[in-house]
Parts: sequence; C-alpha cells; structure tokens
Amino acid sequence: MDKFKPVPMKKKFFTPTVIVLSGLALNGLVFLLARFIWGIGAVTNLDNQHPWGIWIGLDVAAGVALAAGGFTTAAIGHIMHKDQYHSIIRPALLTALLGYTFVASSVMIDLGRYYYIWHPLIMWNGSSVLFEVGICVMIYLTVLYIEFLPVVTERFIGRVNLPGFVKRFNNPVDKILRILDRGLDKTMFIFIIAGVVLSCLHQSSLGTLMVIAGPKMHPLWQTPILPLLFLISAISVGLPMVIFESLITSRSFGLKPEMDILSDLGSMIGPLLGIYLAFKIGDVMIRKTFVYLMEFNTASIMFTIELLFGVIIPLRMFLSRQVLKSPVGLLIASFLVIFGVFINRMNNFLIAYTPPYEVHSYFPSVGEISVTVGFIALEILLFRLMVMIFPIVSVQQVSKPRTKYFVRGSAK
Amino acid sequence: MKTRIFILMFFCVLAISAQNKKTPPSMVGLTCKNCHTSAVPTKDKPAVKPCPRDNMVSVDQPAGKGPEVVTIDKLKNQTNVYSPVVFAHRLHAEMSGMSGGCKTCHHYNPQGQVIGCSECHEANRKREDVSKPDLNGAYHRQCMDCHRALNGKTSCVQCHQLNISGHQPDTQNPAMSIGKKVHPVIVAPTSLKFDTPQAPGKLVTFHHEEHVKLFKLECQNCHSNENCIKCHAENKIESIKTRTTEQRHAVCSNCHNTKENCGSCHADKPKTGFDHKEYTGFDLTRFHSKVTCNRCHVEKGNFGLLKKECANCHGVWTQDNFPHKKTGVVLDEIHSTLGCTDCHQEKDYSKPACTSCHDDKSYPKNIPGKLTGKTLSKN
Amino acid sequence: MANQSRRDFLKTAALAGAAVTGLSSKVKAGPKNILSENRMGALIDTTVCIGCRKCEWACKTAHAMETQSIETYDDRSVFKNSRRPTDKALTVVNEYPNDISENFPIDVKVQCMHCDHPACVSACIVGAFSKQENGSVVWDGDKCIGCRYCMVACPFQIPAFEFDKALKPDIKKCDFCNERTTKGKLPACTEICPVEAITYGTREDLVKAAHQKIKLYPNRYIDRVLGEYEVGGTSWMYLSSKEFEKLDFPKLGKDPAPGVSETIQHGIFAYFVPPVALYALLGGVMWINKNKKKHDSGAEGE
Repeated sequence: MDKFKPVPMKKKFFTPTVIVLSGLALNGLVFLLARFIWGIGAVTNLDNQHPWGIWIGLDVAAGVALAAGGFTTAAIGHIMHKDQYHSIIRPALLTALLGYTFVASSVMIDLGRYYYIWHPLIMWNGSSVLFEVGICVMIYLTVLYIEFLPVVTERFIGRVNLPGFVKRFNNPVDKILRILDRGLDKTMFIFIIAGVVLSCLHQSSLGTLMVIAGPKMHPLWQTPILPLLFLISAISVGLPMVIFESLITSRSFGLKPEMDILSDLGSMIGPLLGIYLAFKIGDVMIRKTFVYLMEFNTASIMFTIELLFGVIIPLRMFLSRQVLKSPVGLLIASFLVIFGVFINRMNNFLIAYTPPYEVHSYFPSVGEISVTVGFIALEILLFRLMVMIFPIVSVQQVSKPRTKYFVRGSAK
Repeated sequence: MKTRIFILMFFCVLAISAQNKKTPPSMVGLTCKNCHTSAVPTKDKPAVKPCPRDNMVSVDQPAGKGPEVVTIDKLKNQTNVYSPVVFAHRLHAEMSGMSGGCKTCHHYNPQGQVIGCSECHEANRKREDVSKPDLNGAYHRQCMDCHRALNGKTSCVQCHQLNISGHQPDTQNPAMSIGKKVHPVIVAPTSLKFDTPQAPGKLVTFHHEEHVKLFKLECQNCHSNENCIKCHAENKIESIKTRTTEQRHAVCSNCHNTKENCGSCHADKPKTGFDHKEYTGFDLTRFHSKVTCNRCHVEKGNFGLLKKECANCHGVWTQDNFPHKKTGVVLDEIHSTLGCTDCHQEKDYSKPACTSCHDDKSYPKNIPGKLTGKTLSKN
Repeated sequence: MANQSRRDFLKTAALAGAAVTGLSSKVKAGPKNILSENRMGALIDTTVCIGCRKCEWACKTAHAMETQSIETYDDRSVFKNSRRPTDKALTVVNEYPNDISENFPIDVKVQCMHCDHPACVSACIVGAFSKQENGSVVWDGDKCIGCRYCMVACPFQIPAFEFDKALKPDIKKCDFCNERTTKGKLPACTEICPVEAITYGTREDLVKAAHQKIKLYPNRYIDRVLGEYEVGGTSWMYLSSKEFEKLDFPKLGKDPAPGVSETIQHGIFAYFVPPVALYALLGGVMWINKNKKKHDSGAEGE
C-alpha cells in the first residue's frame, strides 16, 4: 500500500516568484523601519477617528481566521482520530504557526508602546475582550510551537551538527531533543486539546471585539451573535485554507495533489458554510437589518460581495461532486471561501466602523499596504524555507508500516 | 452702606426671630411668601424660593442715585489673569432707563435698597447650592448678555485689562472716563408714523404718548428684552430691514389682534388718537375721565366684552341709590319720587326731554329744576 | 500517544483543568471602577456659554501642554470648522447657529463625558483606565500599551492618541483634572469659565439643579439633560435650547456602552466553566476515539 510520508523538500529555494516575494518583503521592512523611527502616524493613515487600520483589521483579524486550519485539522486528525488526514496536519500546523507569528508581529508593530507588549501578562482586565484575545493568542502561539517541536526533534535527533566551536554542544543538544521528544510524546494531547479550546475562545472573542463599538459599527454587521459568526466562519475557513495551501504547495514543488484527502475535506466544508449562511441570514432577518441592503452604498455592496462570493457561490461549489473531484474546482472554491472570510473581517473591522465624527473615511496608506504585503510575502517565503528544512509535506512513497518517528536514529 | 445691605438681605429672618422690633422701611409691602416657600421660615430652614420669584417686589430709583463708577474687585484674589473691571455704573443705569430700570441687572431685588450681586451670589465657585450661578458667573452673565448682542465679541480685553504687572488698577482704563459721561435723556415721542408696504392702509400712526398716558403702559411692557442694543447695535438698519412681518407686529400683537383687524391701525391717512366715544359710543369724558381702563375692562387684554350699560360695573341702580346730584341735575322732591324709567325711557340715560311728560303750559318756565349751571352749560 | 494510559490521561487533564480554574479567580481582578454615590460631575449650560474658549487655554495650561497666549483665544474664526478633542487639546468649543436669536450662537464645549459605566475602562486590555471615586475616568500611562482599543470602544469618540510619537505615545483625554480636584481645587476649565457655564458639584445635585432650571425656564431649555441617562449616565451633563443631535451629540441609548460586550464576555467565561467544559468534552471525545481505534486494530490483529 502506498503511504504518504513527510520529508523535507529538495528543490532550489530561489525561483522568480521567490525573488519577487523577497522584494515585496524587503519593501515592507523598509516601511516598518520608518514606523519605528518616526511613529505610527508617519507611516499609516490612522488618526483619532480611525484608531485601527488594516494592520489590525486584516493582518490580525483576517490573519487569525485564516490560520484556523491549524486547529480544525488538529480537531479532525487528533481528537476525532481520523488517521487518514495525518498527512495534512503538519502543513496546516506550519501555516497556523507562521500565521499566528505574523499576527503577533502585526499586533506588536501596531501597538503604540510595542515594548510593553508583555503588560497583559501581569496587568489583567477580566472584562476586556481584547485582554482575552491577547492572552489566548499568546498561549495558543506557545502551544503551536510546542506542537511543532516533534517536527524539530524528528529532523534533528541523531543529526545535530553544529558548526565551528559550538561543536562540543552537539551531544547535549541531542540529549535535550531526545528528552523533549519523550516528554512531549506523553503530554502532547494536553496541548492539542488546549489548542482547540484556545482557538475556539479567541476566534469567537475576535468577533466580540467590535461589539463594544456599539453604534459606531454599521448595523449590518453589529450584532450580539458576532462571536458565534466569527467562530463558525473560522471553522469553515480552516479546511479551505488547508486545501488551498496543499494544492499550491503541490504545484510549487511539482508533487501530485492528494486528491482523495482533499476531496474528503472539501465535502465537509459545504455543511459548515451552510450553517454559517443560515446564521448570517437569520441574523439579518431577525434584526431586520435587510433594510440597509436596499440602500446603495459601500456597506451594502461590501455585505453583498462578502455573502455572495464568499459564502453562497463556494457553498454551491462544495456541494458539487464535480468540483470536489477537480483540483482547479477545489482551488477556486477554497479561494472564494478564504476571500469571503478575508472580506468579512475587513468589513467588520474597517468598512463597518463609522465613527460619529468622521471628517474623511479611512483608506490604508502606501506604508500600511507595503507592510501588510511584506508580511504576507515573508510568511510565504518562510513557509517555503521551513518545508525545505523540516519534514512537513508528505510525499507518496512505498514504505514500511508507519510509526511515529521513523526518521529517528538509523532510519535513513 | 454695607451693614444696611446686610440688614436688608436678612430682613425676613430678622422679622421672624423678632430681634429687630422696628420694621425697616424696605419691608413695607412685603410678606414672607414673597421669598419663602414655607409659611413659617426659620433660620435653619429658610426655604427660600429659587429665583426667579413670581410677584417679586422690585426696586426702582433714578439713575442719578446710583454710583458713577464701580470697581468690581470682589474676586481679585481668585485670579490674576485679568485686572478688575472699572464699571461705568451711571451710564449703564441711564441706558437701562427705558427698559427695565435698575432691575435689568439688580433682578429679584426686593423693594427698598439696591443690593449688589455678591449678596446672593457666592464668591466661591465650589459651593453647596449650585442652583444659581456663583459671583463670577453672575457678573459676566449680566454683562455678556448685552455685550454679546452688541457686537458678538466675547474677548475679555473689551472690559478687562490683561494683568501683567500684579493687581495695580489701571488708571488708563477707558471706563474711568466713560464713567463720568452722562447718557442723554431718552425722549419719548408723542406719535410716530410708519410707512408700511401694506396696501390699502399704507400708513400706521402710533400714538406713543397715548399708550403711556392714557393706557398707562409701562416702558417695559413694550420695550421688553430691550437693552442698549436697541439703539447701539452695529448692524441696526440691516436687522430692521430684514425683519419678517411677524417680527414687525410682535410688539403690537401683545394687545392688538394684528392678524385680523388691520384697519384699526392701518389707514391711508394719519389716524387721530384714541377716543372712547368715537370708537365705542360710550363717552368717558363726563364722569369716567379719572377711571383707569382696567377698572371696567377687568379681563386682561380683552376690551370688547362690555356693553354700554352701567350695570356692567355699578350693579343695579334704582331711584333710591343713584346719586343723581353727580350728573349735575339735582332732582327736586317731586322728581325724586319718580322711577328712573319714568323720564329715561328705553334705557337712554342721556338728558331726557321734559316734553315727554310736560307740555309747555303745565310747568312753570322759570323753575324747571335747580341747575348747577356749569355741567349743564357744557352740554 | 499510543502508550498513554487512561490514568495518566485523567491525571494530566485534571491538573490542566485545575490550573485553568485557578486562573479564573484572579482574572476577575480588573481596573478600579467605582460608582460612588458622591461622585462629582459637571453641568454644562450651552445657553450660558459665550464661546470665549478660555477653558481651552486653562486646560492646556493645567496639563502643561503647549499653548499660545490667552489673548489668541479671543479669535472666533476657529468656529468655522467643527473641531474635536485631540492629543494636542483635551477640550474644544464648537459653535452652532441659534435659530431663535442669531446674536446668541450656541457654543458647546466638548471633552470626555466621564461615563458612569465607561467603555474605555471595560475595554482596556491592561486596565489602564479607571473610574475614580470622585467620578473622573483617568488613564494610567504606566500600564498603557498603546493598542487604541479605548478609542474603538468610546461611544463619544474622545480618547486621542499621539500618532506622531515613535516612543512612549500617550492616550490623551480629559481627566476631569483629577490631580487638581484631589488637592481640593476646581477643574481648570470650570475655574476659569467667566460665566460659569460649567457648574461643578456632586452629580446628584447637578441633576436636580438641571431639572429645576428646565422647570423654571421652560422656554429657554429643551426638556432633556444630556448625560443623565445616556449610556447609563455620565458625570458631565449638558443643558441646551436646541435638540442635542443638532449640536453634533451622538444618538445613544440608555444602556451602558460596555453592556452587551461584557455580557457576552462574562457568558463565555462564566467562572471558566464553558472553556473547561469544552476542554473536558474534547478530551472525552479524543479518549473514546483513541480507544475505539485501539480496539479496532486489536480486533484486526486477532
């Protein structure tokens, strides 16, 4: 029987795409430098009317949602014990890991006093939604790194080869890795469950975040069930994100897409999107906010785009057998869901936010866009780098029965 | 002076506690209810009514009795940004002559002595009773109400000197010189003629003197809410020109129905003054010349109710209780026994003709009755 | 995980649960949020305010902010534009036309309303905002991390941020002169106001005084005290001759601004029961699924 086994990718790192991405990343870093030298006001279009821009609305809110693949696959693979999906857990984990790392970075650069980012650890405010989100994200980020540790141990146990004079530490490091590996093996389930719980908490609380803005938020989006909508949409976008990322990786490294698994995953998305759509429409109906859809303005257009292209069309696509069987169909449908959630987060945090004393509306500056684009580019580059160093992407190969760490020791 | 003011302020308390048996002259015409909500105010619970107090007896005196110039320096210890204002009191008092008089500023001032702002308004802004403004607020509100309307400016240096060198009173202050000035006496016109766009009835003749003397109107009955700005506004002509019809009629419509009876004021020719006989057919000149309008026209503002009947005011008159002598005709013994309607038929109480009872021969021509010549000859 | 025994599983799970519950008792600790009965307030009578802007000068002087000389504040041309409090000016006066008598335009001083149930206090991630016993809502610069969530939360759009500062940018907003009032002084704007358009006193007294004024001068005021009930009541309140919405006040309900958000938040975290329950549930599901797999594979092996 053919088995999929995660191995480090062997390919040239630099391709034309990578060079373009590097340029974008570099450009973002330049603007980032300017932000630290001259302050937030110098780089962004933020002002007292619009305290939050795309660094929070897109980088953080959409970033967290799109990194939801980590906990959804963990839930399916580990908690439900659907072993057939194990091959997609590692890429999803890495996506989440990098995603959250950049979410944290984005928060940090957006903080006026970034050097006080540790304050929430000791200065608590139980009623603050942001506090809860912050703490959950901090813990979850740690959990993600712990969850990733086995990949590191797998890669390096027995192969620690430090250069130069630190060579003498080769043995101790190897020992530490082995201890870690053994310890983690016994306790990993705690972190996996914790990861899922923490994700549920902060994914939903991210929705509660804007509830306090009250009438400053457009009634199409301002609803007490925002946390529920955010949680369902995060769960719904997790799998499309995994599918999308898997298809792109396969293409990029010239592998055959694991269509069996992806089609299976795809078939779960339809019902999830259906539930989400039901809640969303129910909310609009019960609060009678559909009257705002009769108006022709940015809010109504954005709401329609979000719902039509982000939910209804992909919902129809995921319910079609043909789409589920075709890589291109899956790619497009997944992309639409990702796009939908992206737009939804942007709508909630930016479009819906209409302060009472608004002199001009907010549009991100070149600096803000550069930094956001730079971060995304950097994330993709790091992903590429990581899959080339660590055994993450599974490759179909004839192999012995699967054990957990079969690279260990003399396995090669 | 200060002690007298002090006594005034607490006159009610003093009266109640009977510490001062003598009633000060200022208290004449006052009852406790003028200022207190409680019938029995005590020292601990004075229950003073909040201003404005209805039916408050107000003070009035000629402008010349007040001080020429007042230096308002009660708050000089609280702030040192601006120096105290030198206030041309006399000039302002004269200007207010036409409107409210003293009470334009000295509002809710009981009869008698004029008291200053600080008697009621606390100098300390951090205080218990926040229902009325503190002294600083009271001063400025009084001034700014007119001065804002005058030119819209609110800058402090209009009245204050910016205090740069301590609390030295500034002798160069223009108010010092203004204070000596005397405002020209405001002369009330006899009558005014207004050209209006109304056609027909272009001309409105307004008999000012008549309104004051005959109708006994106080200045502020019409000139209410008027102050210096009435004359001294910077854009006076402009604002008069742009007034709406409603605004133009506002002063008159307090008493007159300006919506309907246009003809009572508007005419093509100048109108003569008000003549009760001509307008109503009831002659006042003979017996009612000293009666004020409201003795008969009791209902305020309504002059149309009365008919030409004595009973409106006088009750029922019979031959027994009517002092016929007052009409100038003393009835002799024979006539005094007659009923009123025997001579005055059909309720016509003007001079009856003797011929309705007597013919030429049946009464002696030389003694038709004793006459008090003057009154009769007038008719 | 295959060699994980059931006892181990339960033990570790219980431990983790206990740790989380232990956390919950502490999380209830938050910033100072006192609603004292004797809290102070301020009543702004917009029919009295003459728009002299001396409060703006006094505020800046009291807070050691950069300001021009006091005479420059006589310039009324600034009223052409509607202004908002910023990091450079904690209070500003705006002017609106008076339809009844144009000589007396309506001037409205704007500053923090010092809510009784402040959204900023509820929202702040580190509890840098607090509602003091004297009614003022103050910001603690030692805690703030500059996340600007207070600005998102504030229903009156008051807190301002020093966007132009790269290091130690502050959140700037009226602090009801907390430092001055604790020393027995008046708030700077209240002290300087020439016409006492701002009356300082206990909130209770001010509400009474405001209603008395409305009763005595029904023609002068509309029958509403802004801030008496808005967002659960504010320490600063307004009287006006014109509808407040026409004076650019936001239309707000009577419910406290943090209400819905806190209800959701406390619902999700009610004594940490929901998260712990979810944790237990997932643990159970995981354990059942694992055993099932083991059993299946065991059966296959036989």
